Amino acid sequence: MTDPAAFFNGIIKILFVCVIITAAYIITTKNLITLVRVYALQSLTLVAIALALYWYEGTTILLAIAIITLVFKVILIPYFIATIQEKIRIKRDIEFHFLSPTSSLLISLALMIVIYITLSRILLDTLIKGSLFFFGAVIGISLVLMGMIVTFSRKKAITKVLGYLSMENGVLLFGLFATELPFIIEFLIIIDLVILILLTTILTVGIDSTLEEYHNRLHRFYLWEEREESP
Amino acid sequence: MILFAYALCAVSALILIAFSRTHQQLNTIAIGQGVLYLAITAYVLFCVHIPVETFIVGSGYFFIDHLGLFEVMVATIIFSLSAIYARGYIENLLVSGDLETGSLKLFYAAWCLLELVIVLAFFSDNLALFWIFAEMTTIISAMLVAILSAKENIDAALKYIFVASVAMLFAFVGLIFLFEISRSTSGNGTLNWTILMQHASVFPPGMVIAAFAFIFIGFAAKSGIFPFHTWLPEAHAKAPSAVSAILSGVLLNVGIYGIIRVFAIVDQTTAVAAVTPMLLLFGILSIAIAAISMLPEKNLKKLIAFSSIENMGILLVGLAVATPLAVFWVIFHVMAHAFTKASLFLSAGILHRQYRSQLSADAPDDIHDVFRFQPLAAWGIILGGLAIIGMPPFMVFFSKFFILLSLGSVSLWTLALVLVLIFIATAALGYFVIRMFGRVTPPGESVDLVPYLTPLSMKAPIVILLSIILILGIMFPAGGSAFISQIVTELKF
Repeated sequence: MTDPAAFFNGIIKILFVCVIITAAYIITTKNLITLVRVYALQSLTLVAIALALYWYEGTTILLAIAIITLVFKVILIPYFIATIQEKIRIKRDIEFHFLSPTSSLLISLALMIVIYITLSRILLDTLIKGSLFFFGAVIGISLVLMGMIVTFSRKKAITKVLGYLSMENGVLLFGLFATELPFIIEFLIIIDLVILILLTTILTVGIDSTLEEYHNRLHRFYLWEEREESP
Repeated sequence: MILFAYALCAVSALILIAFSRTHQQLNTIAIGQGVLYLAITAYVLFCVHIPVETFIVGSGYFFIDHLGLFEVMVATIIFSLSAIYARGYIENLLVSGDLETGSLKLFYAAWCLLELVIVLAFFSDNLALFWIFAEMTTIISAMLVAILSAKENIDAALKYIFVASVAMLFAFVGLIFLFEISRSTSGNGTLNWTILMQHASVFPPGMVIAAFAFIFIGFAAKSGIFPFHTWLPEAHAKAPSAVSAILSGVLLNVGIYGIIRVFAIVDQTTAVAAVTPMLLLFGILSIAIAAISMLPEKNLKKLIAFSSIENMGILLVGLAVATPLAVFWVIFHVMAHAFTKASLFLSAGILHRQYRSQLSADAPDDIHDVFRFQPLAAWGIILGGLAIIGMPPFMVFFSKFFILLSLGSVSLWTLALVLVLIFIATAALGYFVIRMFGRVTPPGESVDLVPYLTPLSMKAPIVILLSIILILGIMFPAGGSAFISQIVTELKF
């Protein structure tokens, strides 16, 4: 067995690759049920990263972050969204707004390179902790931007919500690697996230409508139809 | 203690709302909360030494300084007057079926909660805490937009949530940057604004620019700056007018307040030279896009909403000049714009009830014989319109004049460009008013329109707001200018 630092390096690198694969999947997939599962998987990867960092650095905050991410983002939120999806019977979101899946992927690749170059300029003199932390920051911000692409290139509100959630994962990843955030802030963001998701889904579905009305309200999921360009 | 008083008011208001039955009672609670908040704010203003250092206030999470108190004062005045306005307005929405009786409690609960969250946001010392409260204001106010049972409202609210929240996540990335900056320069990281201001002079400029750029994206979206303004006209036009007044008069200030605070930190560093052109550019672009969109606009509330974007642009331009004089008038303009815009939206609400289109909220307004049916609202729009375009002796005249004057001392060409754009916006507003208000049915012909009996509770807030902007324009109290000067000193411009 090699020394712990090299082992830690290897583990984190594998997890980074997992995060990027899940992000690419979220950008391209059309199947909504898989989308939620992939999101849960991505959050689980973040939990693993936080645990690995905890094992390496030994800060209790990281353990707390891992636990609340596990509870909220791996279990509760995906479960809630899956239930909603079942009720409103949306299976696929095949409509892509401005970008096709391929061009989205290409754009996110380009974005990652741009972020890499910009961040290496900004962070070079301050973040001397090692290249791994720098890579974490790059992947975090890339994840934020990839989530934004999902939010603005998909038509259905549920997919937009998942894009937003994926962005939030990116912020968490960036926060994990760039600095040590106070736990209370991370906790408050999760609360904010839960309220936001509850509200958006309630708005789109209407919590007390009957089953017929669900179908009437289905068309409400087509937001921003032609009005996207109008200021 | 002071914050406990605010929170206690809100909690008791929420409990009372849960037990009350009629709209009258609910509305009285909302008005009561507004007036109590106004009283507490006045107490802090006159009887307490600022900045406040007491139990929770001053502990690093909350503080009360002059800027926060100033914003809270503007917010509570607008909240109280809008609550009075809502008495007649919401009653009418109930009668016409636009608002379901079941949603009434939710509406007032969200209203009271929003007022509390906004006060807490303005009193937050910790920038992360401010971020959370600002995000909460988005969610709660989106609820107030979506409360009307119409598809357009839900669409507008969702668009508002997505644009603002997505941008706010970028602001959070910026805050992480800021945290890392303070950690690497002073040892232990903090997002406490007061401490950040003390250590700002040693921050590395490259990181500060990155942090500001990210934070700017978030708060610019909250205050409707181009290119994140797309949600604003929709949400402001579709919301009930009492809510529109709050969205425009208070919530846009939350975004601008965040930009002012963070820019004050940047102003201490050498990064300011790179940041001011950015503020200037986005300010001018916002004014331009608003002015051009206003020209063909046929919907009164959307027109007023675009005028808000224009004014936010002017605020950014003033901030970009970054001299004490310019910042003084930026703060003044925040107040002047809030009062004027609230009065405009309240007047537009009366016209909207009178001439509302049955088809869609996007349809052009069909306004005619306005002086016969709604003389007060018509004069409200005319006087408010004159005030917002910057006619003396209203308040906006002074702030616009001095902001543009400070801009002229930086660059004459930029000033000329901004003047042309403001002129276009003014022309658009004037064209709309003259065209719509000039439509009179010739005497003798019958008009098939039932006059909407405007209750006194809807008229009084408009008159009060117009008198405020007129009186404060003619004679601004010396204590007021000393107060704003104190804000500028605290921001260290």
